[in-house]
Amino acid sequence: MAVSLFWYMVEFARFEWIKKFLFAKTAPLITPAHFRGFPEPTGKACQHALFCMMVCPAPGAIEVLHEGDGWKPKIHKGHCIRCGLCVEACPNGVLRSGRVLETMWDQGTSLLFSFRIAIDPDLCMGCGNCCTACPVNKLADAQMGAGGHSATDEVIMRVQGGDILVLHEEKCTGCKTCEQSCPNDAIRIARILEGIQQPIQKPSPEAGP
Amino acid sequence: MSILQNVKDLVRSRSIHVSYVDVGSCNGCDIEVLACLAPRYDIEQYGIYVHNNPREADVLLVVGAFTPGWEEKLKGLWNKIPEPKAAIAIGNCPISGCVFDRRGSYVDPPVAKHIPIAAEVPGCPPRPTEILQAILSIRDSVFAEWEVKRK
Ligand code: SF4
Ligand code: SF4
Ligand code: SF4
Ligand code: SF4
Repeated sequence: MAVSLFWYMVEFARFEWIKKFLFAKTAPLITPAHFRGFPEPTGKACQHALFCMMVCPAPGAIEVLHEGDGWKPKIHKGHCIRCGLCVEACPNGVLRSGRVLETMWDQGTSLLFSFRIAIDPDLCMGCGNCCTACPVNKLADAQMGAGGHSATDEVIMRVQGGDILVLHEEKCTGCKTCEQSCPNDAIRIARILEGIQQPIQKPSPEAGP
Repeated sequence: MSILQNVKDLVRSRSIHVSYVDVGSCNGCDIEVLACLAPRYDIEQYGIYVHNNPREADVLLVVGAFTPGWEEKLKGLWNKIPEPKAAIAIGNCPISGCVFDRRGSYVDPPVAKHIPIAAEVPGCPPRPTEILQAILSIRDSVFAEWEVKRK
């Protein structure tokens, strides 16, 4: 017992041990560049698709705000969970975070939004509020007034013979303005998010530089 | 400034005792706080000690989105910590409720409503480095010259 205690003390009296005990430092703590941080702007122009806001899983984490002539996504720290989904969903590459963008280019993956319009014919009374409220309709037919009648086929939907008729579902941008303007909750917009992967075009060796 | 004050500042800057309380988290942030103790981050090399007794603590790390069970308890816990003291909100939960702050949920963020918060570390969860930096960054503003500032 006494012997082992002696050697125990000797071990702690070694010069190297004391030096290590007093001056040891762990390596400086650096966050590697590939870690996903809060998304940052890449400098590309925001086209106001709002896909970032639609895909974001955290309440109140991202907002697209008017800035100068254009739009700019703003990340709210304290809400954002750094998942990187907004970086993936943006069709214009406005945001970057870690190596999310590089991996997407490398592997040919992307997130694709599409929108479906569903109108319950039993609830719809053909008032045309949704047609007038829709901002895409407003661009396609500036003349469209209350009632939702339109002479052009270019609108997403219009009222025809007292009934609502959807003409161009593919033009819908998923803003859901129509949902809010419907007095009967008859119109519903489904936002569908698909992950897709396209084969990467590897440069063939014969083609040369 | 007196020599005594200098000695106190020096000692306080190298000896910060941390207590942490989970007021309804998913456990993600708790794990990151624990990771600070591991050799990779080694919180003790900065003189920060975690021992989870509010009566001995200088810094309280608050984790979680504040569930109703903490309504009376957190305030009492905060009052038990001797001055000088500071609370740091760790993670999105005590700042905003994170993904739990939805319609009909029972959480009641932010924690700053209930006790004074000196610093916030956003992230879900924040990295151990960020937690460490937050503790070190409030060190001077809260503990240095505390007796002078109190007057
Ligand atoms: S990183 Fe995730 S949580 Fe943060 S803003 Fe983007 S989508 Fe929302
Ligand atoms: S979601 Fe927006 S773009 Fe689509 S139909 Fe409704 S109002 Fe028009
Ligand atoms: S607003 Fe509603 S009720 Fe009116 S036409 Fe559109 S879907 Fe029908
Ligand atoms: S901030 Fe995120 S990781 Fe931390 S407790 Fe809340 S949900 Fe969990």
